[in-house]
Amino acid sequence: MRRRTPGIGLWLVLAAVVLAAYVVAPRFVSDFHSRNLAEAGVFFIAIVGLNLLTGYTGQISLGHGGLMAIGGYTTAALVVHEHWRDVWTIPLAGVAAGLVGFLIGLPALRLSGLYLALATFAFAVAVPSLLKKFSGLTGGSQGLRLLESAPLQVTGLSGTVTVFGHSMTQNHFLYYLTWGIGLLAFVAAWLLVRGRFGRTLRAVRDSEVAAASAGIDLARTKTLAFALSGVYAGVAGSLLAIQSEIVNPLSFTFLLSILILVGTVVGGLGSLPGMVLGAFFVEYLPDISTHFSSAQGVPDFVYGAAIILVMLLLPTGAGGLLRRLARPLTSRLYLRP
Amino acid sequence: MSRRLQLILCAAGALVVATVASGATTETGVTPSQILIGGTTPLSGPASAYQSVAKGAAAYFRYVNAHGGVNKRKIKYIYKDDGYDPSKTVDKTRELVQQDKVFAVFNSLGTEQNLATRSYLNALKVPQLFAASGATTFGKDYKQYPWTIAYQPNYRAEGTIYGRYVAKTSPKARVGVLYQNDDYGKDLLAGLRNGLGKKAGLIKSKQSYDVTDPDVRSQIAKLKAARVNTLMVFATPQFAIQSYVYANHLGWRPKVYVNAVSSAANIMGLAAAGTSKKQIEGSISIVFLKDPTDAHWKNDPGSKLYRSIMKRFKGGNPNDVYAVYGMSVAHTFVAALKKAGKNPTRATIMKAATSLNIKNDPFLLPGMTVHTGKGDHFPLDQSKLQRYHNGHWVSFGGLFRVR
Repeated sequence: MRRRTPGIGLWLVLAAVVLAAYVVAPRFVSDFHSRNLAEAGVFFIAIVGLNLLTGYTGQISLGHGGLMAIGGYTTAALVVHEHWRDVWTIPLAGVAAGLVGFLIGLPALRLSGLYLALATFAFAVAVPSLLKKFSGLTGGSQGLRLLESAPLQVTGLSGTVTVFGHSMTQNHFLYYLTWGIGLLAFVAAWLLVRGRFGRTLRAVRDSEVAAASAGIDLARTKTLAFALSGVYAGVAGSLLAIQSEIVNPLSFTFLLSILILVGTVVGGLGSLPGMVLGAFFVEYLPDISTHFSSAQGVPDFVYGAAIILVMLLLPTGAGGLLRRLARPLTSRLYLRP
Repeated sequence: MSRRLQLILCAAGALVVATVASGATTETGVTPSQILIGGTTPLSGPASAYQSVAKGAAAYFRYVNAHGGVNKRKIKYIYKDDGYDPSKTVDKTRELVQQDKVFAVFNSLGTEQNLATRSYLNALKVPQLFAASGATTFGKDYKQYPWTIAYQPNYRAEGTIYGRYVAKTSPKARVGVLYQNDDYGKDLLAGLRNGLGKKAGLIKSKQSYDVTDPDVRSQIAKLKAARVNTLMVFATPQFAIQSYVYANHLGWRPKVYVNAVSSAANIMGLAAAGTSKKQIEGSISIVFLKDPTDAHWKNDPGSKLYRSIMKRFKGGNPNDVYAVYGMSVAHTFVAALKKAGKNPTRATIMKAATSLNIKNDPFLLPGMTVHTGKGDHFPLDQSKLQRYHNGHWVSFGGLFRVR
């Protein structure tokens, strides 16, 4: 039997649908709500990055909140101390977090599974205290406030932003910026994992011994995956800083790392389309859980219960569910020579 | 021009005039029947114990609304969960201002949290009323931030009171300080030094912790090792309880001064449950509210009013002193709103909030006034000392006024 491959036409249609959804989505929600969508976009980018590492390479990281902090603080420090325009700091934030990602990838060469999770967790726990330690650069416990220290570098201070002669509100701008970068990041990740590099990553995930015997350089692959994943986290952190116009150690606690992991698992490890759902899950669940009751302890309980339920009902995450739902449809659409 | 077009143009013109006219007389968030205010509070996360502040305030507004509101307007108060994360505070505050279009931001909780939104609110000239933080900057820097005012006695003043008391009553003490490594903890420490004055050398050891730390075990051990006999606990509830617990583990029983943000009776109860009655006995703190667990106020009309409002308007646990704080700050808001005129604007409410002289707040200790004016942007600046005795706080001495 020949392998069935989806036709190029199908991919083009899918890409067009996604692009159309990206462009028109803000029209269906209030202006302010597009800011919430932009926040979900930050989670999306971080989740795509973590998925490369955990879903495809099999390396668990509980330190991605810390990597986001590196990105967020890089942006904030460049804006506040060096008076860079906020959006131009995004690439550098990605590079900085990528470097740190590479460094925390080094222990991954010796540790695996639970021990690696613990090592990266230690990094996530240490980051807020480290940020306070270097208060000259990071503003200590107060953090850095972009709006206060460098208002002229904040894009959209006047409420509207003009891009290529097209004027839009600041909230819409943040939405288009975040999800625009998100989609590009997604496509980049997709291209990476479907080629030779993706096969290398999966080989490492499935069996390190087999991968090594096939001539794969384990050390190189793992640290590269960490660095790449770090770039994603850094860009996400940078966008978070641009959106909230403030960075503070309290915003990058280990809880953030856990949230990103939860989003990745809920979205479905190793599944790219499920991650949009994972991002929305992480963004909206806290609001929904306070709606149930704001009595003390109830929101936290609802939150935890929802995560456990999703894990029980959808062990393969939203991505697995999507795949199962779409199977009858896609099997018909596949070209059969 | 066709007649029909003319008609449409006229109608459009009339609409514009109507909008402009209505814009001139009403303020954002104010309608003839309602005033909309909002704030952030931690409903989830590590500081969620403080949510009683918002709930007590909400209960008091429901009570005022049931009695006709202010100038026939009902006060609608919405509070949003920020999980004690300043960047979320910014998001939620933006939501209040841009989406819900509140008249003023009211009673948002936390020092870093209020600092994070201060410049945003001032840039838009939205009042940041009675921020629930004792950081001195909110009262001191009003020239730079004219749209911001806090409420509770400031932390520096509190530290000063402890310092003076130690200098007076135990001039040979060996003082150790546990403080939170941020504006709040540093304000208290600066106040303590100020109060000790020439005796500042009594401070033998200072240990800081971060909010993100899991515990303060090592800090307490270091303080004990420095042979401290008077321990200042400038920490939020979780860490304050830990201080008692770890000191107890080490068999150490210093004289403890515990800051007001952690001295609520239910927190002391938890500390006692985790250690022993003896460990807690003799602790000292300040008080400015009528503690609902203090038998002294059992028949006090203010305390009775508090209990009846909590019961009728569902304010939550009536033994929680944070709810009393919430009612007091809501009482002050209502007074400011009345003062701001029949058709309050953001400018008039700010003016009213900075020229208060309220003498009848039923939830504060007798003799206390809520006073602001020219150069005085600290609404509450009086408090009493209290000592923990036999499972209860007992206040002693007179009212201090400290700036």
